[in-house]
Amino acid sequence: MKLHEYQGKELLRQFGVNVQDGKVAYTPDEVRTIAREYGQPVVVKAQVHVGGRGKAGGVRFSPTIDKAHENAEKILGMDIKGLTVNKVLVTKAVDIDAGVEYYVGMIVDRNVQSFTLMASAEGGVEIEEVAAATPEKIIRHRVDPVTGLRPYEAREVAIKAGFKGNLNKIADMMVKMSKAALERDAVLVEINPLFIDADGTPLALDTKFEIDDNAMYRHKDLLSWRETEAEHPLEIEAAKYGFAYVKLDDGNVGVLGNGAGIVMTSLDVVNRAGAKPANFLDIGGGAKAEIVYNAVKLVSKDSDVKAIFINIFGGITRADEVAKGVIQALNEGILTKPVRMRIAGTAETEAKALLAEVNSPLIQMYPDMFQAAEAAAQDANNAGEKK
Amino acid sequence: MSILVNKDTHVIVVGMTGREGANHTKAMREFGTQVVAGVTPGKGGQTHEGLPIYNSVAEAKANHPVDASIIFVPPAGAADAVLESAHAGVPLVILITEGVPTVDMMKAVQEVNRLNQESLSQGGKGVRLIGGNCPGLISSGECKIGIMPNSIYAEKGRIGLISRSGTLTYEAGKLLQLAGLGTSTTVGIGGDPVIGTTFADVLPLFEADPDTDAIVVIGEIGGADEEAAAEYIKNNMKKPVVAFISGRSAPAGKRMGHAGAIIMGNIGTPESKLAAFKDANVPVADTMPEIIELVKKVLNK
Repeated sequence: MKLHEYQGKELLRQFGVNVQDGKVAYTPDEVRTIAREYGQPVVVKAQVHVGGRGKAGGVRFSPTIDKAHENAEKILGMDIKGLTVNKVLVTKAVDIDAGVEYYVGMIVDRNVQSFTLMASAEGGVEIEEVAAATPEKIIRHRVDPVTGLRPYEAREVAIKAGFKGNLNKIADMMVKMSKAALERDAVLVEINPLFIDADGTPLALDTKFEIDDNAMYRHKDLLSWRETEAEHPLEIEAAKYGFAYVKLDDGNVGVLGNGAGIVMTSLDVVNRAGAKPANFLDIGGGAKAEIVYNAVKLVSKDSDVKAIFINIFGGITRADEVAKGVIQALNEGILTKPVRMRIAGTAETEAKALLAEVNSPLIQMYPDMFQAAEAAAQDANNAGEKK
Repeated sequence: MSILVNKDTHVIVVGMTGREGANHTKAMREFGTQVVAGVTPGKGGQTHEGLPIYNSVAEAKANHPVDASIIFVPPAGAADAVLESAHAGVPLVILITEGVPTVDMMKAVQEVNRLNQESLSQGGKGVRLIGGNCPGLISSGECKIGIMPNSIYAEKGRIGLISRSGTLTYEAGKLLQLAGLGTSTTVGIGGDPVIGTTFADVLPLFEADPDTDAIVVIGEIGGADEEAAAEYIKNNMKKPVVAFISGRSAPAGKRMGHAGAIIMGNIGTPESKLAAFKDANVPVADTMPEIIELVKKVLNK
C-alpha cells in the first residue's frame, strides 16, 4: 500500500523523526487559513499517488498568503498523470540555500534477504537518476532485520556518504527511520530531501512510504488510509473477490489463468500472437466453478476486452470446474465475447464433454496455449477492425 | 539418486489437520512419500488417517526419524513455524504458505542461515529452508514434499528443474515428461521477494548429482536471482543449463501476482536477465515448448 507524503510523514513522526511541519487542506480557503497560521512562506504540495508531482506543477512555493491561496486554486482539481488532485499538503517553506539536501532510504532487497539502507549526499533528486548517472555516490548497507539499524552503523554510513552536519542527530534520524520500516512493514521508505540546516540539524522535507500488503493485517490502524482513486475500478472489484488482478493499458485480450507464472507467460504469448493483453488475472490454485464464473464476469465487464484467453494447467485446479464456471457465465448471458481456452491436466476429458454439450461458438477449446492465444488475438483484432 | 529428497526421506507435516495440510498429506502419501507424523499445536495425541499428531515439532522428532518438514500454516504464524522446525533440528524445511509478511521472512531466513552455519560447523546436516510461497520439491518416482500434481512426476528422468513459479513448474515438467526426458528432481523456490533458497543455491546440487544431465531454470521478472544464477553458471558449472523467463511483456512498476514479480526502476527487468544468461552462454527459451528443443540441443552437444 502506497502512502501519501503526509501519511508517510505522520508515520515517521510517530517514530520521532524530525519532520517538516505541515497540514492537509482540501480547499484554497483552508490553505489560506494554514498559511496565515504559519505566518511565513509555505509550499503547497499536491497529494496524489504518482511520481513527478513537481515537474507537473503540483508543488509550488508560496511566499505570501495570497500566493498560497492562488497556488492552491491551481493545484486542487489539477490532473497529474490521469489522477485528479483533491488534497494538498501545506508545509512551512525552508530556505534551501541555507543548508544542504541529502537522501536516505530503505528498500526490501532480496539479494541481501533484508533491507538495504541507502544514503547519498545527492539529495533532492530522484534516487534512480543518481543510481543511473553516479552509482558510486550511493552508499548501501544491509540492515539486520532483527536488531534494526544501530547508531554506529548509521554514523558509518553517514560518514561514507560524506554527510556534513550534526553526525549524532543525522544517525539518530536514520535509526528511527529503520525502526519505522521494520515495525510498519515497509517495502520502501525514503526521506528525500533530508535537509540539514545551518545548525547541522536534520529535517525530513519529503517522504515516500510503501507498506507490504501481506502485513496489512497487523496495521489495521492504517486501513482507513487506503485510497482506491489511483486504482482501476476493475482492480477494486477484483480485490473484493480476492483475485490478483492488474489492469493493463491499451489491451484487447482479457487474460486469466491459474497461478502467477502461467498468467505472466499468457501475457507474453498474447503479445507474441500480435494482440495486447488487457489484464493480468490469477484465479489461484484449486479454483471452483464459482471463482471462474466471477473471474469471467469481471473480465467481461472490461470494455477494452474483445476476446478472452483462459489458460489453465490443472494440478489442483480441475478443468471441469473451469468449464462449469465459463458455461454458467454463458448461460446467464454475461459472456458475450469469444472465450478461447486451453485447459490441460486434471479432469480435462470431463471439461471437454461439458463444453461439447453446450456447443457454443463463443467457447472454444484448444490443445495448447499458443493456438488458444492466437485464436483470441485474432478474434480481438478482428473485433477492433470492425469498428 | 536425486537431490535433497529421495525414497528414504522421512517427512512431517506441520498443519496436517487443516484443509490444505490434510489434502496434500493424502496426495504425498499416494505418491509414495514417507510421511511419518503431523504437527498441530493443541491436537497432540490425536491421529489423522492413521498418522500420529504431535503438539510440537520437537515431540514429533523425539518419536520419529525426521528428515524434512512441510509447513501449511496461515501467513501470520508461518515464519514462527519455520523457526520451530529449524530449531528442532529438521535439516530441510519447506514453506508452502503464500502471503507471509516480508519482514517476517527476513527475520526467519537470517535465523535459519545462522542455524545452518552453526550446524555445519559442528559437523551437522545444516538447515535449509525452501520457499515460502512455493510448490515444494519432488524427486520423480521417489518422494514429493509439496503440492504438485503427482502424475507428472511418476517416472524418473535426467533433467533438473528449478522454478520461481508453481504452475509453470508443472507445465515444464509435463513437457519434459511428454518429450521422454523427464525430471530428476524439481525444486520450486517460490515467488516471494525474500525466500530461503535461491537458484544459485540449488544449481551446485544438480551439478554434483550423477543422475542429472541438464538443468532448466524457470525465472520471472523482478529481483536479480536470475542474474546471480547466471553468474554462478558462468563461473562454476559444467552441465548445460536452459532458462526461461516469464512476464517479459509485463509493464514496470506493476506487481504480477507474485509479491516478488515486479520491475522496480532498473532492477528486475527481463532485458537484464536475458543479458546475464547470454553472457553465461545459457540459451533462453522464448516459449515453454522451446525449452524442450533447447534441452535436446544442449544434451546432444
